[in-house]
Amino acid sequence: MYIVNYHRRLDAVFLLLFLFLTACIARLLFIQFFRSSYLTQIAKKQHSLFLELEPRRGSIFDSNLKPQAVNISKDSLYAMPSDIADKDKEKIIRQLIPILNLNRAYLKDRLYRKKSFIWLARKISPQQAEAIKKLKIKGLDFIKESQRCYPNGYLAAHIIGFAGLDNKGLDGVELYYDRYLKGEPGWALFLRDARQRKLGLYEKMVLPKDGYDLVLTIDEVIQYIAERELDKAFRTSHAKGASIIVMDPHTGAILAIANRPTFDMNEYGNAGKEGMRNRSITDLFEPGSVFKIVTASAALEEKKVTEEDKFFCENGSYRVASHILHDHTSHGILTFREVIEQSSNIGTTKVAQILGAQTVYKYVKLFGFGAKLGIDLAGEINGSIKEPRRWSKVSIGAVPIGQEVGVTALQLVTAVSVIANGGQLMKPFTIKEIRDKYSEIIKEFSPVMIRKVISLDTADRVKQILVGVIEEGTGKLAKISDFTSAGKTGTAQKLEANGAYSHNKFIASFIGFAPAEDPVISIAVIIDEPHPYYFGGVVAAPVFKNVAGDVLRYLKTNATQNETMALNETNAVN
Amino acid sequence: MKLSRLIFIITFITLFSLLYVWQQTEAFRLAYTGQKSLTTFQDLLDKNTVLRYNIQRNASLISIGNKVYDSADFQIPGKYQLVRVISTGKTLRVAQRLPNKENMLTRLFGIKRQAEAKTFGP
Repeated sequence: MYIVNYHRRLDAVFLLLFLFLTACIARLLFIQFFRSSYLTQIAKKQHSLFLELEPRRGSIFDSNLKPQAVNISKDSLYAMPSDIADKDKEKIIRQLIPILNLNRAYLKDRLYRKKSFIWLARKISPQQAEAIKKLKIKGLDFIKESQRCYPNGYLAAHIIGFAGLDNKGLDGVELYYDRYLKGEPGWALFLRDARQRKLGLYEKMVLPKDGYDLVLTIDEVIQYIAERELDKAFRTSHAKGASIIVMDPHTGAILAIANRPTFDMNEYGNAGKEGMRNRSITDLFEPGSVFKIVTASAALEEKKVTEEDKFFCENGSYRVASHILHDHTSHGILTFREVIEQSSNIGTTKVAQILGAQTVYKYVKLFGFGAKLGIDLAGEINGSIKEPRRWSKVSIGAVPIGQEVGVTALQLVTAVSVIANGGQLMKPFTIKEIRDKYSEIIKEFSPVMIRKVISLDTADRVKQILVGVIEEGTGKLAKISDFTSAGKTGTAQKLEANGAYSHNKFIASFIGFAPAEDPVISIAVIIDEPHPYYFGGVVAAPVFKNVAGDVLRYLKTNATQNETMALNETNAVN
Repeated sequence: MKLSRLIFIITFITLFSLLYVWQQTEAFRLAYTGQKSLTTFQDLLDKNTVLRYNIQRNASLISIGNKVYDSADFQIPGKYQLVRVISTGKTLRVAQRLPNKENMLTRLFGIKRQAEAKTFGP
């Protein structure tokens, strides 16, 4: 009896064990055949870390390869609120406020969110990062991020522009050439240990493609000279705004663009709308007398007048339809050369009346006004010029002297370059080359001629008249020692809100080039609402003189140095 | 199968497994060391970049210009702006322009360039 019971119990235990083992095998088979892919996925997630690899944003250099925009690695602070106990959060807030200068409400809002990751402060200074690292706070950590930095602060701010927090170009060439600068991100699957720490081992990796570097046509030294002189004029004339453009008249390469007000590219967040606007390409204004270069060129090209033809300037008062036209000083009989030199509105109108509205309009368009020139910067505007069929009877006394037309500073400098280079309208550009990270040139930008505007002979004759403007006429303050120069002054009344011309708001301007016999630079200076002096010949001409003088001396010194270096190299080789 | 053969196979498999485990441990140890070195290297590289940037910033024309601007109206000198100054005890005075008597010796040993350093506005 006892033995029979013993056998039964043994069978029962065996059966139980067998059932248990069968259940285990069944479970294992189920896991192996039905759950394996799901579990493999979870395990992979635990052991692998997918990371996007940020490409290096391309740098920006001036024409002499001096860095203008570079990348610096900075720490960004993040929190893992779910890993921080509520009782510790208050303490952390108290510790972070003095270091980060952030307000309490902001930090409290961030730390009390039910999230596993949240940014607290991005791209903080190395000192701030060090101070926080010393506190060894659990639940806070750093990620390295690259930040765009501009070593020259506000120099060429309106050309370079700036890149935002995510390294995306937001203005200037940073925006226009973003597709070249940004590069392509890569990725990698890194291995992680049980504590979720990243190891230096990766399963797969696609390397990021770094962005290309830009080489500007801007010369840092010329840009600095332009900024310095414009700044002086802006301050001393208590102006509302000011612009200057320096261009190579033969190629259309922009050597400098400066505007006032301006902004520091490293602190673009603090810049106002006024400071950020590149007013030299986005602002429209009536040019005034500087526009007379178009009328003069048209008259000579069409052979309707010669330099010595005489015009009676009506002693300063002349009726055109219902409008009485005045000169700033009354003149009697002037030759055509003197009409431009003395900037007589009446004389110029009489020349335009000989030419006719259609011809004046034709040359205005030929000189590039009323249309975009196609500069590689965002925000360029067309300008405005009415077609002759929409001109009033007064227009023939307005358009030729720079009224009833809207132009930009860029259009003015391009137009004066036509005279300087022998009659060609060149497309302005700001980028010389695009290079890869090994300094290999990927793309080179060559000068582009838009059209031939006037003949070489006409350009030379207008050039001589413009030399006279500086030697004998309204632009005497633009005369540079050691070099010859040519140019034209302009003083335009601004329009009031009611459409009438203002009597106390003016735009003073000067356009010119130097040296006159073989121009190397052409310059446009625009001062918006200067006080108390407002004449272009008084306010803008000295800026031209100082900039052109210094730039020519700099270029001459540079050329001499290059020649000496070349000579030394040749001697060394020999 | 002979017992000795079985023992040999078991020993071989055990040793091979131990070697594999050691290799994996070593790989991870090296990965940790590599990670640490990489972090240090990256940190030093970042500091170097910041240092270079600060040097560039301080040496930039804007920075120099701001420092010079208050004390002098800096201009790029032209020939007509160069004068020679001589010391007269307590003060400096502009020297009389000397006739150009350049020859091989004066060109080689002259100090004209060094003496003509001060610039004046036109």
